[in-house]
Amino acid sequence: MTAPAKTPASRTVIETRGLTKRFQGLVSVNNVSFAIAENETLGVIGPNGAGKTTLVNMISGTLTPSEGEVIFDGARINDVPAFRRAHLGIARTFQVMKPFPGMTVLENVAVGALFGRDGGVKSMAQARESAREWLEFTGLGKRIGVGADSLGGPDRKRLEFAKALAMKPRLLLLDEVMAGLNPVEVDEVVDLIKSIRGQGLAMLVIEHVVKAIRSLSDRVMVLHHGEKIADDDPTTVLEDPRVIEAYLGKRRT
Amino acid sequence: MKTRTLILAAAVAVALAFVPMFGSDVMIQFGINALVLAVLAQSWNILGGFGGYVSFGNSVFYGLGTYGTAIAMTTYNLPFGVGLVIGVVLAMLGAALVGVPILRLRGPYFAIATLGLNGAMMAIFSNLPIAGTNIGLVLPLTRNDTMFYELSLALLVACTLTVFWISRSRYGMGLIAIREDEDAAGTMGVNATLYKVTALILASIFTAVAGGIHAYWSTFVDPASAFDSTLNVRMVIMCVFGGPGTVFGPVIGSFVLSTVYEVLAAQISTAAALLFGVVIVLAVIFMPRGLADIMRDRANFTLRYFIRNIRENRL
Repeated sequence: MTAPAKTPASRTVIETRGLTKRFQGLVSVNNVSFAIAENETLGVIGPNGAGKTTLVNMISGTLTPSEGEVIFDGARINDVPAFRRAHLGIARTFQVMKPFPGMTVLENVAVGALFGRDGGVKSMAQARESAREWLEFTGLGKRIGVGADSLGGPDRKRLEFAKALAMKPRLLLLDEVMAGLNPVEVDEVVDLIKSIRGQGLAMLVIEHVVKAIRSLSDRVMVLHHGEKIADDDPTTVLEDPRVIEAYLGKRRT
Repeated sequence: MKTRTLILAAAVAVALAFVPMFGSDVMIQFGINALVLAVLAQSWNILGGFGGYVSFGNSVFYGLGTYGTAIAMTTYNLPFGVGLVIGVVLAMLGAALVGVPILRLRGPYFAIATLGLNGAMMAIFSNLPIAGTNIGLVLPLTRNDTMFYELSLALLVACTLTVFWISRSRYGMGLIAIREDEDAAGTMGVNATLYKVTALILASIFTAVAGGIHAYWSTFVDPASAFDSTLNVRMVIMCVFGGPGTVFGPVIGSFVLSTVYEVLAAQISTAAALLFGVVIVLAVIFMPRGLADIMRDRANFTLRYFIRNIRENRL
């Protein structure tokens, strides 16, 4: 495993040390350490059940690690509740989309603006304005007034994305925002993600679409049975025989 | 919310204030009961309707309000106003003490935990000498129904204004987010515990004042009437019938149901409770989202509305 290619000047936003999660007997994430710096995008791939979402859950605060540390901006946040992590600047999307069904699309995103980083904005008008901008940005501008439960699959993905962005995060955790999208839609979302890079934002992108991972990630980490088996630049990782084996099984010789 | 709705609501409130000038004694007494019940349903709406937490413990705050007022006025000869304040403080303390541990529970578990509170409080107050043990307390008599009516109306207006503020504030958005998906709300930065506990405390304030007013009016308090769990069931029914999570739904719901009950009781005294039950069952089947939902889109209020609701309930 080679050391991650990192510019020495950039600051680490998130770091995990020996992160482990056990569910009774099952080890879902096993001793995973990694770091993401400002302006850096880490792609995370791995077969189903590899522990990708569990990893995100431990960073966002929905699950407490069994062992190891989550360090955000130099401080250990293992015991910090999820809402306070949101105030610190950690935002996520859910693989199983969780829109607030009884709210309109606009209100869904306004919640992000009202409660996100540093506790969000206090004024409803400001929150609505910022929600409108993010909905415009994610291509949902025409669906502002409809109920969130009436959105179809791809639009729900966009909504998840807009909600997370409205929180003005410093670390954005994207859990399969492209799953279920057609190739054209995938390209659109890739462009969206590319356009928010910079400005210090660190990103962790879980994705199965290899093309998207290749074009988005500065580095790619591979999880297999909860363990990190690779962490390097995309081309190296995607051609690594162990990675191919994990995804497709052993090549018969 | 439309300006027209607000003007209409203000006009209704003003009109209601003049009822004692023209109404009969029976009318005013019915009004006091209906207004107090509306306050209870509206307070329940704060955590139940907006936050999505079904509480069967709100009647405890009513009981604390009645006893706070009664003890202050009988044992210590304090004025009514001071009694109300003591009742409110007791209820707020109760809400904070009970809320912090119990609001960790979700859904049905929370509801079940709150069910036990009435019994516990009844047992405590039945054995408190200061509260007259199980005999209860008799408050000084004040024959001034108009004052009690206007007080109850003022309280309902204050409570409804609070709910109106909630419905368009950041605080309300947080509560609704918790109702819709508590985990998602948490990861978006909503401090769910704080919001839920403050919602319960807010509800306890209005509920306790309603209890204090009712205690002074009826001049009698005992453990069984103060900590009456069927009172809590009525709050839930009236709020849900009118439209939980709306500003005017609980008020309209409790006015309608109070009237229905009164009419039924006058016509067929013994079967009134039974028919009241039938009305509620039908309401839940045909309009599970309450009266407010029907009024919101009146255009779709046809036979099809009911059929759709039945389908959605898989009946």
